[in-house]
Amino acid sequence: MPDRIARVILGVVLLTMAAWMFPSSNWAATLYAKQDDVKVTAEKSPASTVVATLALGDAVTVLSEEGRLAKVKVPNGKTGWVFKFRLAEEKPAARSSSGLSGLAGKRTIAARESRTGGSIRGLKESTEQYAKDKQIKQEHRDAVDRMEAFSIAPDEFLQFKKAGNLVEFSGGAQ
Amino acid sequence: MKKFRTLIGLGLLCLIFPGIVFSGFFDDLFAPAKKPQSSPAQEKSTEESPDLIQGLGEAFGIKKNKVDLFKKGVGVVQALEPIGLEEEITLGEAVAVEAFSRFGGEYPNQDWTRYINLVGRTVAEVSDRPTLNYHFAILNSQDQNAFAAPGGYIFITVGLLKTLKNEAELAGVLAHEVAHVTKQHMLETIRRGALMGSVSELTLTAMKKDPAMFSSVIDEMTELLFTKGLDKDKEFEADVVGVTYAYQAGYHPEGLRDYLQTLAKEAGHVESKFFTTHPSTTLRITKIDTLLKDFSDIKNLPFLTERFHQYVKAG
Repeated sequence: MPDRIARVILGVVLLTMAAWMFPSSNWAATLYAKQDDVKVTAEKSPASTVVATLALGDAVTVLSEEGRLAKVKVPNGKTGWVFKFRLAEEKPAARSSSGLSGLAGKRTIAARESRTGGSIRGLKESTEQYAKDKQIKQEHRDAVDRMEAFSIAPDEFLQFKKAGNLVEFSGGAQ
Repeated sequence: MKKFRTLIGLGLLCLIFPGIVFSGFFDDLFAPAKKPQSSPAQEKSTEESPDLIQGLGEAFGIKKNKVDLFKKGVGVVQALEPIGLEEEITLGEAVAVEAFSRFGGEYPNQDWTRYINLVGRTVAEVSDRPTLNYHFAILNSQDQNAFAAPGGYIFITVGLLKTLKNEAELAGVLAHEVAHVTKQHMLETIRRGALMGSVSELTLTAMKKDPAMFSSVIDEMTELLFTKGLDKDKEFEADVVGVTYAYQAGYHPEGLRDYLQTLAKEAGHVESKFFTTHPSTTLRITKIDTLLKDFSDIKNLPFLTERFHQYVKAG
């Protein structure tokens, strides 16, 4: 009987040591898209053919990593390359906001709270009430309105990153 | 028997509200009674706690004072819950109005605004919260400062912008602010305030119903942002996370460190709120230098000095 207990203890110790030697990050070959529209391309170049477009939370199996890129297998079985910083180890929570949609110039109002119609888009009722109570000038309220409404076209944003060798064009990833 | 019934009653209540069991409620229950530190709004909120608890308590013969204590526990648990996205954006928007009001208003240069939005969104895109809408604006103040309100409202003064030498420095400064948003530093501080009893529940309904409470939360936030500053640990964390975001976005991650070195040279010569709302610049530089040693592949990452000058200096 004591032998049996000793064997169990030894087993637990060996398993703990194995877990310590092979951390979970080495086992966890599954990563998740941090956002929508994550492109998986056939070659390492972001300009190569797109084999899959991942939506927020889509899982991929990482086959290998090279610099800032990861070679992945997508759910439909295809393989390709993706900018690894667009992937997360933990599955992101379901969408609760409209994303960087300001880029496309079509904003979705994330909050349920209604907005007032006094200025360009209108601030939230709580903000308008607060600004009124504090006698904050209209020009400053309008400034927040403009700040929220500011949009950049997706093409312009892409060209900006490409010209600066940034994000998927960075670190020789192209 | 009575004690047995009480225990069964408590057990059933715990089954209905399991979060309470894991939130330190029983610490309160078994501790000596403390003097409550609640604001009038909070008292009102406690008064309006669900009658279901009262009813269940009565059904199981639990004394009123114990049920009241339990209800207070529910209030604490509610305060412990993360502040929702809609509430975060609402708070951030009001803080943003204050930022424009206190720092000279909006700096009227659309090209520069476009540029800081391009750079800011580039780092935000690789952050831990890429799905949030981030908004970047320039304040018409010669003071050197940058700050982030909850919900992704990020500001840089024109005084700071003009001091920068390249795009990597700008990305470093903005990434530090994005990190405050992704790590929800301000919200965490406010939640702690809620537990201390200075504010009641932070829901959209409560904010609309109680403008005085909403106003006091904004006052607390603006005081933190513009006068007192966040905890030093949160600033250091924003440095580490921000440098990582800048690196992931493809910028040379020395940008923030380089700007802080410029700032350190000005310490004592320039009057700036930056020095009072942030930890020692020298200590921040030392900590960032330690972090930078971990990046082995940064040699060829760009500073984009020429592009920065094309946008900012030309404007």
